[in-house]
Amino acid sequence: MRKLPVVLLLVFPAIASAQVPELENPGTIQAVQERQYRLNHELGFGVGVLPLDAFYKGLLAQLSYTTHFSDQLAWRVVRGAYSYNVNTGLRTQLVRDFNVNPTAFEQVQWMVGSDVVWSPFYGKTAFLNRSVSHFEIFFVGGGSVLNLQNSSGGPGVFRPAVNFGLGARLFSSKHLSYRLDLADNVVISKDKGVFNVPSIQLSAAINFGVTE
Amino acid sequence: MKVAKLRALLLAPTLALSALLLAAAPPPPTPDKAKSKPAEPQPEAKPVPKVNPKIFDEALQDYFDGKQRQAAGKLFAYVEATAQTEENYAWAQYFLAKSLIELGLRHAGGVYLTKIARERSNPTVLPRALEELRYLTEVPHDETMIDEQVFGALDLGFLPEETAGFAHYHQGLWDLQVGSERWALIHFAKLKEGTAEASRAKFAVLVTRLKERKEASKEMVEDFLALAEDEKLSQETRNESRLAVARLRYEKRDYEGALEAYEKVQLPPLDPGRATLYLEEAWARYQLGQIHAAMGLLTTLDAPVFHNEFLPDKYLLRAMIYKDLCHYLPAKRAAKELTRRFAESLEAIREREDLTKDIRLRRAASAQGATKRAAKFLESLTLEGERVGRYAGNFGERLYAHLTKLYDLSHAEAQRIYEQRLNESVRAEADKLLRSAEQVRLMEYEVGLKLYERVKRGAKLVVPEDDAEITSAQVAYTFEGEYWNDELRDYRVRLKSRCIEEAAR
Repeated sequence: MRKLPVVLLLVFPAIASAQVPELENPGTIQAVQERQYRLNHELGFGVGVLPLDAFYKGLLAQLSYTTHFSDQLAWRVVRGAYSYNVNTGLRTQLVRDFNVNPTAFEQVQWMVGSDVVWSPFYGKTAFLNRSVSHFEIFFVGGGSVLNLQNSSGGPGVFRPAVNFGLGARLFSSKHLSYRLDLADNVVISKDKGVFNVPSIQLSAAINFGVTE
Repeated sequence: MKVAKLRALLLAPTLALSALLLAAAPPPPTPDKAKSKPAEPQPEAKPVPKVNPKIFDEALQDYFDGKQRQAAGKLFAYVEATAQTEENYAWAQYFLAKSLIELGLRHAGGVYLTKIARERSNPTVLPRALEELRYLTEVPHDETMIDEQVFGALDLGFLPEETAGFAHYHQGLWDLQVGSERWALIHFAKLKEGTAEASRAKFAVLVTRLKERKEASKEMVEDFLALAEDEKLSQETRNESRLAVARLRYEKRDYEGALEAYEKVQLPPLDPGRATLYLEEAWARYQLGQIHAAMGLLTTLDAPVFHNEFLPDKYLLRAMIYKDLCHYLPAKRAAKELTRRFAESLEAIREREDLTKDIRLRRAASAQGATKRAAKFLESLTLEGERVGRYAGNFGERLYAHLTKLYDLSHAEAQRIYEQRLNESVRAEADKLLRSAEQVRLMEYEVGLKLYERVKRGAKLVVPEDDAEITSAQVAYTFEGEYWNDELRDYRVRLKSRCIEEAAR
């Protein structure tokens, strides 16, 4: 009980001093603007790489269609990517010098999938104080089916995967934007367990039916 | 009192607008103009050296080879040594003018073009010279020499249609300036309908009528509205028409209509716009009871880009808004801010000092109308005068000496005109400041009364009005003191009322 007056003495000046700025500069200020870029139906054309595998590098070409429910939430209804694979020096050396069986190397041939896209960040940035560009940052989560083939050819095998990632979009006009996607397909395989197929993609997105 | 102040607020920019429009209008000639230049002992002039007539062809070759510096020296030598009656004399003057203009010596070029227009020694050169002079009128230029003495006094009978239209427009403007609308209309009637000059002439007539009449008619508003949509006018003039519509509607207490006109003012992307536009819009919104939006516009006026603007009313309006929401301490502080910020200027006015020495008043006076044009011309002459020295080596001794003398004389005259206009406009700004200071003192008194008003038993806080929700089509950026040009019209202030109402008993 004896401490109470001391506590009160310490607390009340703090409360009073917190009120001073409010008394001097009351109110809060926001810049409220019409959202300049709004998406509706989006068709994406992208190129990218599958950079992780030490035995090959995949050069991706992807097509996708996304429908936007709101400015924050969208569904990438379908995406399909084909990978043109280039063997690395390591793989060539293993096959040539150590007679490793080429069938031991599985490569992604193509993949399809669907994702939910959540875009909580929308902002703008100044370029050299001369122009203002708008961008958004989004997260994706969904599923994929990957077709994996041995590098020696033969029938491919299908593997399910969980896809997640994040990306950024730079708006160029109401109909055109550019996006950078960083995604990872976590592939679930009975014989190989769980392994990752990350991808980096740059795409041009054409927007139809802009919401005014 | 408030309405009278607002009328004054709106009338002042309108008068400034009219002054801007009458671009050709120089100040009335003063009788002591000639006397102001003390007679200096003239040094004995050196004899003009004779030149080979072939120098003209060489100079033209240099000009078309892009060697304007060399061409200018040769052309000047040719002009100096040749009689006016020579066939190539006017051409030499013309290409000398072109060379000087292309070297950035616009005023010197303008002097030679003006000589061609006055002497009229070669009818084929004259239209070209007038065309070049037309371009020069779009940048800071000697208004007396070009607007008044060339376009204002030109015999219009023999000119090509386009140049004649421009001259008619300028002569009409001059008539308007001296108060003869009837004569002006005769000139304007000769302008071809649908040309840019015809639209600008209509605008000039409307502004002059607005300046002269106390009451604005409905027809006048409609005429300004029509001009606001006239594609032949520059964007700036269309915006001026919209502002005129807004001001007229405000005068008629049609605040919604005024707001609509303010919102139609189109600014280039990332252009911060004009401070007076924001302040006037803030007053219109205040009158409509949109005090949060009005406060947002006052936030805009605090942006660094408007730091040097002379807007005493800004502090008054802010104090009024705070007072209306019963934030008495901020209201008092906002009111005091005016006297604090302009303390030196107010002191200078009270002490009857030379107001042109006061930096704030001087800046405000130089920011608009005829004084602004005079200041810009003076600035351009200073720059060009410095540029002459750079070409001394190429020009040769005679042209260099001639241009140095020309720029010295022109600079002295431009300085005199600027000081004369500054003296007039600085007084208008001082009056504006004094009126605002008076209003602020009254505001401080009213706030002081409110501050110590007793709260009666049973009184309760007024239920705050709901702020407009942010819709899904909008995006909100919290303001943290960083101004973005694209946001200047979009600030919204959330400020709760602290007023207390007495409970019904």
